[in-house]
Amino acid sequence: MALPNQQTVDYPSFKLVIVGDGGTGKTTFVKRHLTGEFEKKYEPTIGVEVPPLDFFTNCGKIRFYCWDTAGQEKFGGLRDGYYIHGQCAIIMFDVTARLTYKNVPTWHRDLCRVCENIPIVLCGNKVDVKNRQVKAKQVTFHRKKNLQYYEISAKSNYNFEKPFLYLARKLAGDPNLHFVETPALAPPEVPIDLAAQAQHEAELAAAASQPLPDDDDDAFE
Amino acid sequence: MASSISATAASEPEHSTKEREEEENATATRAAEDEDTGAQVAPIVKLEEVAVSTGEEDEDAILDLKAKLYRFDKEGNQWKERGVGTVKLLKHKESAKVRLVFRQSKTLKICANHLVLPTINVQEHQGNDKSCLWHAADFADGELKDELFCIRFPSVENCKTFKETVEEVAETQGKKAESKDAADAAGLIEKLSVEDSKKEEKEEEEVPVAAKEVTKTTDDKVKAEVEKDEPASSA
Repeated sequence: MALPNQQTVDYPSFKLVIVGDGGTGKTTFVKRHLTGEFEKKYEPTIGVEVPPLDFFTNCGKIRFYCWDTAGQEKFGGLRDGYYIHGQCAIIMFDVTARLTYKNVPTWHRDLCRVCENIPIVLCGNKVDVKNRQVKAKQVTFHRKKNLQYYEISAKSNYNFEKPFLYLARKLAGDPNLHFVETPALAPPEVPIDLAAQAQHEAELAAAASQPLPDDDDDAFE
Repeated sequence: MASSISATAASEPEHSTKEREEEENATATRAAEDEDTGAQVAPIVKLEEVAVSTGEEDEDAILDLKAKLYRFDKEGNQWKERGVGTVKLLKHKESAKVRLVFRQSKTLKICANHLVLPTINVQEHQGNDKSCLWHAADFADGELKDELFCIRFPSVENCKTFKETVEEVAETQGKKAESKDAADAAGLIEKLSVEDSKKEEKEEEEVPVAAKEVTKTTDDKVKAEVEKDEPASSA
């Protein structure tokens, strides 16, 4: 479900509710999917943001409206309103902060009070960090409550597509659903503009000396 | 140009310590991940398998390499990640036009999609010899946007291969444009002198257009069928 003033689409769309303690990486995870960027700076989400996220599958295009909620209590407030008509959910915790895992049952209870019988994925984020406080073996909540669990890293992209793939499969009841190439449309001809080109050259020269954000990282998968 | 340069085992990045650790951590849950521990929930939509298209069917890949793409955020005066995946240079089988397409791995989304124009200028990144940058009017989101892109490869060699191939393409495209101009000029002279040949030429020109329309109609039909088969939005 989109926000009332948000554009709706003619292909299947789902309201995805993303909850979890503040700072666990909910917004960063969504942003990573939206633009590719990895935001290191922490700016708490205020209220709710609902970016649409599209995926191409072998069963056509689908959309998740990602209800990225404020994890911080002080910015919360309308929480039950966020959950209403939620069709699937992600509960996020931070494997480097034990308390965020301890709070998972609370998030799960709040969610299930409003949304009954929806597919839920538990995500342990930041698995790229060396000093984990919550080891994979210690994560057991999903077994008790029948959730799917994925270890993810919004930083390294480890398993970053899995939560969406799992939810899509459950929502469609098709275990074979998979992502396919987004069709690469033919780019239109661009008239060559010499004046603009000079400007681009200048911008390029300036950008060439700006460092890359993750120069040291060597993951190319 | 027919030979395809692809990422081979040699150009694969070595597994870093970080990746290994990630791997080890993940091993414990690997079985659990494959196993579905989720509750049985009733599906809320019925989706039919559809015909899928990469949009690259009429092109040959003249380059195909793993890389990481960045776009320049002018407001913040900084490079931002755009995706990790595969960069391809695709040459159209008929028009011989070449475009650059970058796809994110796993989600297979498009991070860059633009023509390689004769005016393209690929520069080295000053602080990283595995990276280079360029400007493009990019069509990744289905609308033209001015973007500064930077690409980083696992090796200096791959970066060099990429830069050289783009430059080679740009040069070829430039020559093609020149010869087209010359042909157009020649055609114009002919048109001025011979009335009949003008007509013939026009007919010839129309062929590709008609062919294009046929393809488009088919696409529309497929799309219409897809739409028809899709259940109403559940939102």
